[in-house]
Amino acid sequence: MNKANNSELAIETRGLVKRFAEDIVAVDRVDLSVPTNTVYALLGPNGAGKTTTISILTTLIKSTNGSAKTAGFDVVTQADEVRRRIGVTFQEMVLDEELTGRQVLDYHGRLYGQSKVQRKAKIAELLALVELEEAADRRCSTYSGGMKRRLELARGLMTNPEVLFLDEPTLGLDPQNRASIWAYIRDLKEKQGLTLLLTTHYMEEAEEMADTVGIIDHGKIVAEGTPRDLIDQMGADTIRVTGSDGETSFTEKLRSLEFVQTVHTGDGVIQIGVDSGNHRLAEVVTLANENSYTISDISVTKPSLGDVFLKYTGRELRDK
Amino acid sequence: MSAAFILWGKHMSKLKVHSEEMFGMLIQPVLWVILFGLGMKGLVGMGAPGGDEYYIDFILPGIVALTALGGAIGGGVIWLNERTSGVVKEYLIAPIPRLSILMGNAMSIVTKSTIQAILIFIVGILLGVQIELNPLGWLGGLVLVTGFGIGFAGIALAVASKVDDPGGYHMLIFMLNLPLLFMSNALYPLESLPRWMEIGAQINPTSYAVDGIRAMVLEDGATLAGGETLSLWLCFVVVAVFAILGMGLAYSVFRRVTK
Ligand SMILES: Nc1ncnc2c1ncn2[C@@H]1O[C@H](COP(=O)(O)OP(=O)(O)OP(=O)(O)O)[C@@H](O)[C@H]1O
Ligand SMILES: [Mg+2]
Repeated sequence: MNKANNSELAIETRGLVKRFAEDIVAVDRVDLSVPTNTVYALLGPNGAGKTTTISILTTLIKSTNGSAKTAGFDVVTQADEVRRRIGVTFQEMVLDEELTGRQVLDYHGRLYGQSKVQRKAKIAELLALVELEEAADRRCSTYSGGMKRRLELARGLMTNPEVLFLDEPTLGLDPQNRASIWAYIRDLKEKQGLTLLLTTHYMEEAEEMADTVGIIDHGKIVAEGTPRDLIDQMGADTIRVTGSDGETSFTEKLRSLEFVQTVHTGDGVIQIGVDSGNHRLAEVVTLANENSYTISDISVTKPSLGDVFLKYTGRELRDK
Repeated sequence: MSAAFILWGKHMSKLKVHSEEMFGMLIQPVLWVILFGLGMKGLVGMGAPGGDEYYIDFILPGIVALTALGGAIGGGVIWLNERTSGVVKEYLIAPIPRLSILMGNAMSIVTKSTIQAILIFIVGILLGVQIELNPLGWLGGLVLVTGFGIGFAGIALAVASKVDDPGGYHMLIFMLNLPLLFMSNALYPLESLPRWMEIGAQINPTSYAVDGIRAMVLEDGATLAGGETLSLWLCFVVVAVFAILGMGLAYSVFRRVTK
C-alpha cells in the first residue's frame, strides 16, 4: 500500500494486541482500516475488547504489540498530534461534578488552547445542540444521567475533532435526544469530514449510522463489512424458533433441507436462513413436531444486524 | 506549562464554591497557633531557647510546615478522587504534558499553603511575635514554604497515584507524615531531642525549611533555633532538592500507572 492511500485512513491498526495479564488478552491481533469521513461501528458482547481498542486509539493506554495510527499519526510516538485531533466520550461517566456544565466545556476548551472567543461560540452552539442551555450554570452533580451524558457528548465535540470516539454514547438517552445527536453528527460528517468510531448496543443505530460494522469477540474481529453486506450473508429471510427438547436432531434435519441456507443456534434460539420465510413456516413446524421439538415461539423476520451478531458471537445483542 | 495553570485555576475556582473548605483552610492555622502555641508553651517552652515567652515565636515556622503537610495531604485526596472518578482520563487524552497535570495539582496545594502561612504569621504578630522587618526575608520564607509544599505535594501525589482507596492512602501518608513532622526542629528545639532523633532531624527536609523560615522571617531567629542555625544556602538547596525529588517521584509513579 502506498503512502497516499494510507493517509486517507483515519484509523489504522496492524496486529494490535493488548494483554493485561498472561491470560487476559483483551485485544487480539486486530487490523482496522477506517477511511476518513466514514462511520465505523464496533459491536461486540461485554468484555469483547471494544473499550480497550478505543483506549489504545485515543492514547490512553499502550498496546502490548502491533501498531496503531489515529488521524494519520502514531498513537505512541506522535501522541500529542493524535490528541489534538480527537474527541472522546468514555463509556463510563467522567465528569467533574463540582463544576457547572458551562465550566466543564470551558476548561476542556482551555486545555486544548482554544481562545475565549472560540470557546464562547462553541459552548453556545453545543449547549443548544444537547439542550442544556437552561441547566448550563448549574453544577453537574444536579444533572440527571441523560443530561450528564449529553454534556459529555458536547465536551467530545468541543474541540472540532477530526476523529471522534464514542463508547456507547447514547446509553441512557431518550429517543428524541438520540435522534438529534445523530443528526448533528451526520451533519458534521458531511460538512467537516468527521470520522467516527463508535460502540453501541443499539443495532438500529449501527445499521443506520455505520458505513462499516466490525463485530469483535474475545478481542478478535470476527466479521466486518457494510451493514447491508453482513445482513445479506444471512440469507433471504430468517425463521427464529425458540423451544425445547430434540434440538440436535431437529437442527440436523433442517440442515439437510434444500431450501434451508443456514442454521445457527445460540442462547436457546435457532435461526434458520431460508429462501422465503412465509412459505416455509409450515414445513419447519412439521419438522419440529416430527423430531418432538416443542416450539414455544416462532417468527419470521428479515434478517437484521442483530442476527448477524448472534451468528458470529453466539449471543444476543443487548437491546432496547 | 500553561495547562498546569489552567488546572490550577480550576482547583482554585472550586475552592470558591466550597465555602466550608475555604473556612476550614483559613481557620485551621489560626487554631493551631492559638491552641498549640499557647497550650504547649508551658510544657515544651521550658526548654525553649529564650524561655517559654518565646515558644510561640519558635513554633510559628513549625506550624507553617505542619499546615503545608496537611494541605499536601488534602491535595493528594483531590488527586485520588480525580483518578478514581476517571476525570484524569480527560486530562490524559488532552494534548498537554503529563507533568503539567501533576503540577497543576501541586500548585493549587502550594497556593493554599502559602495563604495559610501568611495567615499564621499575621496571627503570630497579633499574639506578639517579633518578626524581621525585611520583605526580602519574607520572600525567602515564602520560597521555602513553596518548595517544601511542592516536595511534600509530590510525595502525596505519588502515593495517591499508586493507591486506589482513601484508606490505604491515609495509612501510607500518615506513616510518612509523622516522622517528617516530629523528627524535625519544627515543634521543639533540636537539642531537646534524643540523639537518634536528632540525626533523623538533620536529614529531614522539614528541619531545613523550618530553620530557614525562622532565620529569615523572625527577629532573633538564630537565638530561637538554639544558637547554631543551619546555613541559609543549605536550607534553600535542601528544600529545592526536596521539591524536585518529590515531584520527580510523583511523575515516575504516575507514568508507571498510566502506561
Ligand atoms: N485494566 C484492566 N486490567 C485487567 N483486565 C482488563 C482491564 N481492562 C479490561 N480488561 C479485560 O479486558 C477484556 C476487554 O475489556 P473491554 O473493557 O475492552 O471490553 P468491552 O468490549 O468494552 O466490554 P463492555 O461491552 O462490557 O464495555 C475484558 O475481559 C476485561 O476484563
Ligand atoms: Mg466497554
